[in-house]
Amino acid sequence: MLLAVSVLLFVVLRLIPVDPLALSVSPNATVEEIEKIRHEMGFDRPIVAQYWLWLKGALRFDFGRSIYHRESVASLIARTLPASIELAALAILVATVLGLAGGLTLFHVRGTRKEPVLDVASIAILSLPEFLWGLFFILLFGVHWALLPFTGRLSPEYSMPAARTGFLLLDTLLAGRPDMFADAMLHMILPALALGVGFSPAIMRVLRSSLQDVYAEDYIRQARLRGIGEVQILLRHAAKNAILPALTLMGVQFGFLFGGTLLIELIYSYPGMGNMMVEAVRNADLPVIQAVGLVYCIAVLSINGLVDAAYSMLNPKLRPR
Amino acid sequence: MIALASLDWRAAARSPRVLIGAVLALAVVGCALLAPWIAPHDPEDQNLVASLLPPFWVEGADPAYLLGTDGLGRCVLSRLLYGARVAVYVAVTASIGAMLIGGTLAHLAGYFGGRVDWLIGRAVDVWMSFPPVVLSLILMVALGVGVNNVVLAIVLVDWTRFCRVLRSEVVVVMHRDYIAAARLVGFSHLQVIVRELLPATAPLLVTLLSLEMGIAVVVEAILSFVGMSVEANVPAWGVMIADARTTMYQTAWNIVLPILAVFVTVLGFNLLGDGLRRTLDPRLARGA
Amino acid sequence: MPLLEARNLSVAFGPGAVPILRNVSFSLEEGRVLGVVGESGAGKSMIARTIAHMLPPRFELAGGEIEFRGRSLTRLPERERRALLGKDIAFVPQEPLTGLNPVLTIGRQFGEHLARLSVPRAARERLAMLMLESVHLRDPQALLRRYPHQLSGGMCQRVLIAMAFAGDPGLVVADEPTTALDVTIQARIMRIIAEMKQRHRTALVLITHDLRLAAHTCDEIMVLYAGCVVEHGPAKQVFGEPRHPYTRCLALANPSLSGERRELVALSDHMPGLTELAGIAGCRFASRCPIRGEDCEAVEPQLALQSPGRRAACHHLDRVEGIVAHAASAPAPAPATAPVLRVEGLTKRFSEGRSIFSAGSRDVLAVDNVSFELRANEFVGIVGESGSGKSTLARLLMGLEPPTEGRILIDGRPLVPADAGSHRLRIAALQMVFQDPQSALNPRRRVASIVTQAMEAGSSHASWPQRLERAQRLLGEIGMPQDSALRYPAQLSGGQRQRVNIARALCAVPRVLVADEIVSGLDVSVRAQLLNLLLRLKGGRDIALLFISHDLTVVRYLCERVLVMYRGGIVEAGATRDIFERPRHEYTRRLLAAVPPDDLNSRWAGLEVPADEIEESA
Repeated sequence: MLLAVSVLLFVVLRLIPVDPLALSVSPNATVEEIEKIRHEMGFDRPIVAQYWLWLKGALRFDFGRSIYHRESVASLIARTLPASIELAALAILVATVLGLAGGLTLFHVRGTRKEPVLDVASIAILSLPEFLWGLFFILLFGVHWALLPFTGRLSPEYSMPAARTGFLLLDTLLAGRPDMFADAMLHMILPALALGVGFSPAIMRVLRSSLQDVYAEDYIRQARLRGIGEVQILLRHAAKNAILPALTLMGVQFGFLFGGTLLIELIYSYPGMGNMMVEAVRNADLPVIQAVGLVYCIAVLSINGLVDAAYSMLNPKLRPR
Repeated sequence: MIALASLDWRAAARSPRVLIGAVLALAVVGCALLAPWIAPHDPEDQNLVASLLPPFWVEGADPAYLLGTDGLGRCVLSRLLYGARVAVYVAVTASIGAMLIGGTLAHLAGYFGGRVDWLIGRAVDVWMSFPPVVLSLILMVALGVGVNNVVLAIVLVDWTRFCRVLRSEVVVVMHRDYIAAARLVGFSHLQVIVRELLPATAPLLVTLLSLEMGIAVVVEAILSFVGMSVEANVPAWGVMIADARTTMYQTAWNIVLPILAVFVTVLGFNLLGDGLRRTLDPRLARGA
Repeated sequence: MPLLEARNLSVAFGPGAVPILRNVSFSLEEGRVLGVVGESGAGKSMIARTIAHMLPPRFELAGGEIEFRGRSLTRLPERERRALLGKDIAFVPQEPLTGLNPVLTIGRQFGEHLARLSVPRAARERLAMLMLESVHLRDPQALLRRYPHQLSGGMCQRVLIAMAFAGDPGLVVADEPTTALDVTIQARIMRIIAEMKQRHRTALVLITHDLRLAAHTCDEIMVLYAGCVVEHGPAKQVFGEPRHPYTRCLALANPSLSGERRELVALSDHMPGLTELAGIAGCRFASRCPIRGEDCEAVEPQLALQSPGRRAACHHLDRVEGIVAHAASAPAPAPATAPVLRVEGLTKRFSEGRSIFSAGSRDVLAVDNVSFELRANEFVGIVGESGSGKSTLARLLMGLEPPTEGRILIDGRPLVPADAGSHRLRIAALQMVFQDPQSALNPRRRVASIVTQAMEAGSSHASWPQRLERAQRLLGEIGMPQDSALRYPAQLSGGQRQRVNIARALCAVPRVLVADEIVSGLDVSVRAQLLNLLLRLKGGRDIALLFISHDLTVVRYLCERVLVMYRGGIVEAGATRDIFERPRHEYTRRLLAAVPPDDLNSRWAGLEVPADEIEESA
């Protein structure tokens, strides 16, 4: 699967009409110098050979060197990926909590007059993409009411702690600096909130329709006929059944969410992988684009894999006898 | 075409969501079509003297610039209207393109099953391993700037969404006996797909089309925000938002207004899509 | 004091609307069994819902009273009513497979129920196992750890029965508890219910559409029609000597398993639905009643006492005996011409590749070496329960699945799978009538368009007026009014849809109709209409019928030859009379024993299968 993905990536990127070297070479370079660099980087070989070279490197985690940064792509990713993971994880938490709460509320008000109001509200939230939520929160909480910070990861008075795990939140705790931890968390609130709010309506709606389907089932009626109370029915009988179909969609949404970190990082000047990707795209820095694209795919596939595993665990029909 | 005609448009027209959504969407389309006539200024016309003017309801506004001006003195209203042209063009063409590709593959996969289904399914899986934002960015790098490239990029990314959702619907309809009955009566494969299958999947198709228009507007806004969409001298909402970020502290309206434009457009398409889904789907409407 | 008493109970859809249950009164003593008999739409399920006080949305109690142990069920505060459910009043559902939560083990669900019954935690598992044993389930300890999807329908139903009786309830309401199950399982389930009732001294309300079943298992029968009680009395009397014309027609519309062959009495039309009830002033049965008089449509008859314990609501009870079924001749065997359809060694194997059971595939032999012949104008029945392979056989015949082995010959010419020429040959000679009329008709097409669909196929370009004319001729042949040609399927009743199904199959003028359980979901009176229609078609056209069904009585009525299928193979084949009077194979005998006999004095053999013979695999 990954192989197919990487082939696709490679093919797409090689169609670029822009000469990737032109941007990173000084304008006074002679033709021979340019050709020399081109040969060094392997851009003059046939495309299949180029792919093969790249693949061999990739298996050793050597993704080449960034044309723009003159640094190994692997180390660039190692620096920025944990930041993106932290942001995504926090955002997934926010999205899940909001999504569950919203879904239950939407389900609870079904049939009443409040339902269409809340329903349209969820559609409205859905209509604003996460990057616009990000800007909106900056405007509201950052500029208008200057409550929360919205640039970077730490306030200027702090410097980065020793990178023991690579994850800032953990590193601050390990370095015994709860004040830095708090500061880092504050910086993450707005971006995580923007991402989470942006993706929560989808979860709300799928949970609501899932609950509706489950409540129409026979076994719920039978449980009621046995005298079981509504709360018990929701918690014991309906919840697990309703989560299952919602899980698949949630997995897809989380994958999208991880892609959404790209823009949020851009808007909040958050030094994550997404920010680096945007820069690379603007500069046509091919090795970076390729590697980061691959990492995003790995992330999506991992998330989907985790969700599938959770699904098999929860659904007794899929567990081996 | 018969498939579209068989849908219950009258029921759809009675739904408040459909009406409101349609009104919003048509308003935006109207702005887009009529922009050259109703825009007060040329959207690229710079007037550095009159830069960062606020909209008319704020003190210090200039009535010549109803919604104010941006950092380079360009009329916000005119830029919004011309930006609508880009948005609407991309929305309509990209969603139809994605629908054609995704829809055709979905019906083929669902109808023929077996290896065809497997192949298309695997292609969709590979494609969907990319977060759409990332993939569209990468595609734009490869294709280069230009509004038609944006359309192509969106089509290439979003056909998978159509394909996956429609395929499950096709599979559901295939289980109904009237599909088998049509074959037994002598219909060719094409006849079955066009006359029996399509009318059944048409409601979902129309709904997805409407939702996709909203998505296309968002993707275009993202791309132009990052600077990978239209050419430099073409106004687009995402570009307006990106530009306004630098002047956010002085006048927030420059960023709020284009955000609002995106919001209203996407909301219109989403309401329309949701309303259509509720009224056109016979299972939700009356239990057929 | 009676355990359960209803007085003039009425339920309506919305305030001030026409009641769908009207003036229903009955009283049930402790330990007695009341059978509530009626066709679908008669309101019998509504009675169950009223007892539970769980009416569907917008349905309300419009009058009357229903009391349990002297307390009103409808006026009881919510908490007290809920306290009764599951403990003193228990319910057995119609669909056992979906009645249990699929993500919880049997043990968890039973445990939860026992917790509600205030059984101390330590005793719960033991009590659950005891109850499961009492319903003859083997290895209860292992069963408690299983999930519902690992059990068969019959086993699930037994679990649900065990749970219902676990609280030693005074009343159990069973709403069509055996309808979704196979015929051979049905009898056993009824027997288990009878045993439990005896043991726990429970009163039972049995809701069913099967009058014969009720006659064998209930003490009293109450017959419902369109929401009204039309007859009420001791079970055997109501069945043996029905007083009300509807009951009598119902009894005579059921084909019998033995005895003289009679033509089924088929009532025209169908029971009035919700929307039609408003327009009826007098007797709700009047429009279909064969002994209808002038006063019947104006004045509603009251349920009056005819003799001790017998009540009937009719103005003309004296004429009821005039409703008789005429003797019918047995279908004659077809002349020995060359067979139209011939099947040789047909086998179908399904390999479940990615099975949930284990890695590696598990082959399922759906159809095992089936061979038979069908001659022109012959009606042959294929009888079997679920898993017998009969539906797969139908699909193989129609080319919807390719066979693994064997061949199918039409007029001596073998059919080649996936060959266009064979496909054309096949559909010219064979047409299929599908089981589910809801799924078999395209809801977006009008009836005329559906019926003449064959004229739209391929390169033929018939004009609409041509199609309409053809449609109307076909509709006339199957007994539907001409104006139905322009209607949509959603506007038709189940029986009417099934007729359209048949008409569509007839349009291509096939030589053989393959009918897969086409009357299974239909009401008794509608079923009788369709069966008589099929017999009429036989006289009028050159058409053979391959009639697949699990219902032996229907097959006996319709077909001159029978093939009995079990687990993919044909276990017995022969003339109808031979098979039914002198069955040779064990399975055939079991099938026959499972049907409640017509003669009320003879025992229902199915009820007495010894306990340890009750085996069922998941």
